[in-house]
Amino acid sequence: MNAEAVVNKRTDAKLRLTKKKLKGSNDNLAGYIFISPWLIGFLLLTVWPIIQSFYLSFTEYSLLEAPTWTGMDNYKNIFTNDTDFTTSLKVTFIFVLFSVPLKLFFSLMVAIMLNKNVKGMNLYRTAIYFPSLIGGSIAVSALWRNMFNLNGYFNHVLAWFGIEGVGWITNPHTSLGTLILLNTWQFGSTMVIFLAGLKQIPNELYESASVDGATGIRKFFHITLPMLSPVMFFNLVLGIIGSFQMFTSAFIITQGGPINSTYMYALFLYDKAFKHYQMGYASALAWILLVIVALMTVINFMVSRYWVFYETDGGKHK
Amino acid sequence: MTGHEFTIQHKGEMIMENKIWSKGMTLLTLGAMLALTACGSGGDSKDSGSGGAVKLKIMWQGPDTRHQAMLKTQEVYTSLNPTITFSPEYMAWDDYWKKLPTLAASHSMPDVLHMDGAYIQEYATRGTLEDLSDMDLSGVIDDKTLENLKIDGKLYGIPISRNAQGIAFNTEGLTSAGIELPKKDWTWDEFFDFARNARTKLPDGVYPISDSDTWDFYQYYQTSNGKGPIIQENGTKFNLDKELFTKFYGIYAEFREKKIVPPADMVSSFKENDPQADPMASGKVMTRGATVGSVGALEQLMPGKVDVVNIPVGPEGGGWAQPTIFLSVSTDSKHKDEAKAFIKWFVTDRQAGTTYGMNFGIPIYDDVYKALEPTLQPKDKLGNKLYDTAKDKALPFYPAAAGWTEWVDNYKKTMDAVMFGQKSIEDAYNEISKAGNAIAEKQSKK
Repeated sequence: MNAEAVVNKRTDAKLRLTKKKLKGSNDNLAGYIFISPWLIGFLLLTVWPIIQSFYLSFTEYSLLEAPTWTGMDNYKNIFTNDTDFTTSLKVTFIFVLFSVPLKLFFSLMVAIMLNKNVKGMNLYRTAIYFPSLIGGSIAVSALWRNMFNLNGYFNHVLAWFGIEGVGWITNPHTSLGTLILLNTWQFGSTMVIFLAGLKQIPNELYESASVDGATGIRKFFHITLPMLSPVMFFNLVLGIIGSFQMFTSAFIITQGGPINSTYMYALFLYDKAFKHYQMGYASALAWILLVIVALMTVINFMVSRYWVFYETDGGKHK
Repeated sequence: MTGHEFTIQHKGEMIMENKIWSKGMTLLTLGAMLALTACGSGGDSKDSGSGGAVKLKIMWQGPDTRHQAMLKTQEVYTSLNPTITFSPEYMAWDDYWKKLPTLAASHSMPDVLHMDGAYIQEYATRGTLEDLSDMDLSGVIDDKTLENLKIDGKLYGIPISRNAQGIAFNTEGLTSAGIELPKKDWTWDEFFDFARNARTKLPDGVYPISDSDTWDFYQYYQTSNGKGPIIQENGTKFNLDKELFTKFYGIYAEFREKKIVPPADMVSSFKENDPQADPMASGKVMTRGATVGSVGALEQLMPGKVDVVNIPVGPEGGGWAQPTIFLSVSTDSKHKDEAKAFIKWFVTDRQAGTTYGMNFGIPIYDDVYKALEPTLQPKDKLGNKLYDTAKDKALPFYPAAAGWTEWVDNYKKTMDAVMFGQKSIEDAYNEISKAGNAIAEKQSKK
């Protein structure tokens, strides 16, 4: 029993240890192999093009001829000699500045309405979410174009009230506003995330507030908003990133016009790449956009410490 | 004892694990192999060339009547050559030139594609079009015409029709308002006077002519006044005449003020050949530009109300009348012979011609046109009339050279700003010139 058992036990332990080590690495390898179809796709179709585009941003590349190295020329031209760059950046910033808060506000309001306990609420929820299934698609953009054109349905409705409408998407003063409206109207997914957030807020908080005599508005500002702030933060970050990349509706509805009034950055980038065959220049634009979006996100995270409330921190968010 | 048990159990686990492992690997290898073979067969399936069935990818742009005619023509070809079928794709002008660059960039242009005089240089010099000089077209298209269409000595597209630019007008609208109809070879002054005069007689909300914001319409003015095309010497020389430019857009500024042209937001919402948004078919404007190949579509929207006149002329002439519509073959095509055979049939065969009719303009081969003549409808004769009206005074067709699309876009944007009253004509001239000179300089360095 004794001596043999002790030796046995020791070798066992050793064995177990090495096996464990081996098993660990085996598990990882197997894991990687199993995700390899995705991993290979990710590396080849996402990471590699990103690296390539970084290289291309220092070249002149017409797509059909080999790229030629031009150093910092593209970046220099963009920052010193390209009015389209400044215009499109300005348009995009205005778009983000208005469409993101509007969309957040609007979808939050709808989410709160849909959070009430009313009979048949599921039906309302479905009905209101339904348009989002076709979301930011080409079809919706085409529809929007017909609605807000000079001869569009919207102006027909206005005419019933004796108001003469303008060409909402063909007038430089109203075109960007119309696109912002469209973006706000596509509130579905943001709204659903808000709704989920609202459901997470424990009822006891509201009950105890009621006991203390808090009114609806007070409850909203002191319970709903703070408890919802992480969700709001999430929607804000995604909204800003998404709005910076806004392309479809500008491309389909206005094509950046009239006179560049809706010339979104992504559309400008597309024109450079596929219309004017300046892939190198477009790559440089893409990297600048990446830096801008990254900066905005970092700023967002820094500022978030002052307004986003995490329950797990016990409210220590100062 | 216990130790022994443990090892056995562990071995079992090991075996199990190995099994899962090997299963996983087998599956993965299988998957990879499948993917590989799929790629392989995707590349050369049905590419057997001679003998086997071939599906030709074909793409063109135009109004709906042209689409229908083109589809029918392909049906006829397939019935004559059962091994050749088509995979057609067709769209309106704007969408076509938006889509084609991406196809060119990804080397996935269709086998047979529609080319236009305005773009063929761009695509030819970028090596996307096959040289078709070796196609035998003697007796079909005269050598001089072909020679004129060559780019650097090579023929990148087979002209399929005679085309011409002119102006269509609403006969009914003008006559009922008591306005004298435009006459062949009218001068620019007569054109502007026609507009001024018509304003006094037309009802509110109806305009004699539309506003002008594209480079080609101004270029007609410049070339007819003897100052030559704007883009010269293969895109290495820029020539925008300041005096004429200022005068031309000065007149339009006056027209905007006097409501001779529609308000800018209406002009931007026009979409040709759309029943509601077409400037003429919607009844808002009495005239608009039209070509031999496209005037039929307009006539169908407003039957019996359309007549045509040439572009206003100056001392040098005006407008153009020549082949501008081509069928080309992509350099990436795997069925070049079949594609060429189809194009040759398209241009030379009477049955083909009678099927597509006047939808591309007047068929270039006289034999085909003669077969077609007895069947012509009023809308077709309109195209013919436009060609005859335009050809006497026609100047050459002056397209933008390769590398100039950006400038063409900017010209329109700049003139839109003028149209919306946000930019002076002088500023516009300076900006357009600066951009043009920069591109010319860049092109001459190449």
